[in-house]
Amino acid sequence: MKNCRKIGLLSSLLMAVGMAFAQNRFPKPDFESGYQYPDMTYPIPDETLWTALDIFLLIALMSFVAWAVIRKRTRKPIIWVSIISVAYFGFFRSGCVCSIGSIQNVALALVDNSYVLPISVFLFFMLPVVFAFLFGRVFCAGVCPFGALQELVNLKNYRLPKAVTTALGMIPWIYLVFALLYAITRSSFIICRFDPFIGIFRLGGDIGLILFGVLLLITSVFIGRPFCRFLCPYGALLSLFSRVSIWKVEITQKPCINCELCHHACPVDAIRAPYDNKVKETRLEGVKRIMHYCIVLPLIIVAGAFLMQSFSGQLSRVHKEVKLYDMVMQHEADPQDILSVELEAFYGQGGTLEELTEAYNAVQADFRLYAAIAGALIGLVIGLTLISLSLKRTRTLYEIDHAACVACGKCFSYCPQNKI
Amino acid sequence: MKQKNEHKNSPIARRRFLRLFGSAVAGGSILAVTGGLIGKARGEEASLYWQIDPQKCTQCGRCETHCVLPISAVKCIHANKVCGYCDLCGGYYRSNVKELNTAAENLMCPTGAITRKYVEDPYFEYTINEDLCNGCGKCVKGCSSFGNGSLYLQIKRDLCTDCNECKIATVCASNAITRVPLSVAYKLKD
Repeated sequence: MKNCRKIGLLSSLLMAVGMAFAQNRFPKPDFESGYQYPDMTYPIPDETLWTALDIFLLIALMSFVAWAVIRKRTRKPIIWVSIISVAYFGFFRSGCVCSIGSIQNVALALVDNSYVLPISVFLFFMLPVVFAFLFGRVFCAGVCPFGALQELVNLKNYRLPKAVTTALGMIPWIYLVFALLYAITRSSFIICRFDPFIGIFRLGGDIGLILFGVLLLITSVFIGRPFCRFLCPYGALLSLFSRVSIWKVEITQKPCINCELCHHACPVDAIRAPYDNKVKETRLEGVKRIMHYCIVLPLIIVAGAFLMQSFSGQLSRVHKEVKLYDMVMQHEADPQDILSVELEAFYGQGGTLEELTEAYNAVQADFRLYAAIAGALIGLVIGLTLISLSLKRTRTLYEIDHAACVACGKCFSYCPQNKI
Repeated sequence: MKQKNEHKNSPIARRRFLRLFGSAVAGGSILAVTGGLIGKARGEEASLYWQIDPQKCTQCGRCETHCVLPISAVKCIHANKVCGYCDLCGGYYRSNVKELNTAAENLMCPTGAITRKYVEDPYFEYTINEDLCNGCGKCVKGCSSFGNGSLYLQIKRDLCTDCNECKIATVCASNAITRVPLSVAYKLKD
């Protein structure tokens, strides 16, 4: 068995030939000294208990917040929930899987039958939605570690102009549409990739994103919850359910005295001031206005669909197969001596151009369809935002905008009616 | 007069109706999505964990550099029952070294995580110190090029944070990293 060394030297010649895939070049040694193979085991930690605890805490904390804001009208429990959430869901469980990211898993599972959705991810997605439908955005209040972190550092609320908040308020929806587009085409989970707070919770990671997260946190000292209002796609989704929720947050049960204190206390601009609509509109004018909406909105939607579809080629560049296809085509047109790692892997594993082209075409077809739908949705978002700007409603009292309200409970202690 | 009153009240009634309608749509969509997913959601068999398929891995070295952890959760593991126990090990020594001694410049592993123990002539047993291994895959490349391929990379389940999107998988050159269910949490060679 001394030839082992010789074969070894010989085989080093193979290096010039390139990587060989032969296995078992050397026979299994027959030991004479009674050598026993060492016993190797690789640990698989049992996560069931932790996952169960996650789900239990999620339900318990959300119920606690719901009780605090709907029954008790007090903020104190929410601060405790925020601290627990940042400590447990944020730093201890290091943030994955979170409800925000689970949108993508759920979307993928709905479209792609080969993806098996873990039950914990499903619950992380569905429970806050159900709670939002029942009690409003109690998840955002302090159970979401991202919202809780911003809430805990918030000191002062400088008000942004309405034009700015309206424009920035469209971003979560557009972000949501792109996240869905890239998730169901199996390209990338962009919500997870560009998560600004995960680096802070894990105390390490992409430096650019950590800087972005720190910047957001500094901003949230002076402006209430910039991430929740202007970025979070899950918050956008929850606002749909919160708008029509069965039980709603009310600042006081006693009559409102229009003191506007709650309006100034709200960190997320969710309390609308009274407004006296002086424009008197006849029925005919009203019908005309609605007709205008009915013409303009579909136009914006169709324009969005066309625009996005015309960019579907560029959008698909995020997909790995498309990236590889571009590389291979470039290489075929102008062969280089030094191959990139991707090309080496592609040729080394005997990939053929036909297979790759087939996969490429499938991805492109997917993108043409889904980019058009995404464009239509973006058009819908922009159109509805414009329409909502043109709507004027008379309000005699301060009113909560339940879609925007994150149930943080800051207004309760400001309301003088609550104190009597 | 009666008609006028109705007209005055109608916006309120309309809003109440719209709110009710909205609630019904929201509740209905919750039920629809739950119904659509309840058949697909699984506990044990769900593909939650990330793992490397050693048959596809090309040892490009990105496991070392792209994991979100400060030191990658990818480690080299050794299948003793596949190993040839060679003296001249392609995973232990660099190629074309002048002298076969354990001086650092002769060894493949940049962190000195591979140690070997003399068993009997001419066999050596190789062991990997997981605390030192950084998952660069240099030894794996050497072993699969010149040896039996008993050294290979795997994501250690106890170290991996199970990111929703594995950062290494997004840059993996050969698509070797995929989601796997718990039953195949490791793709072992022996």
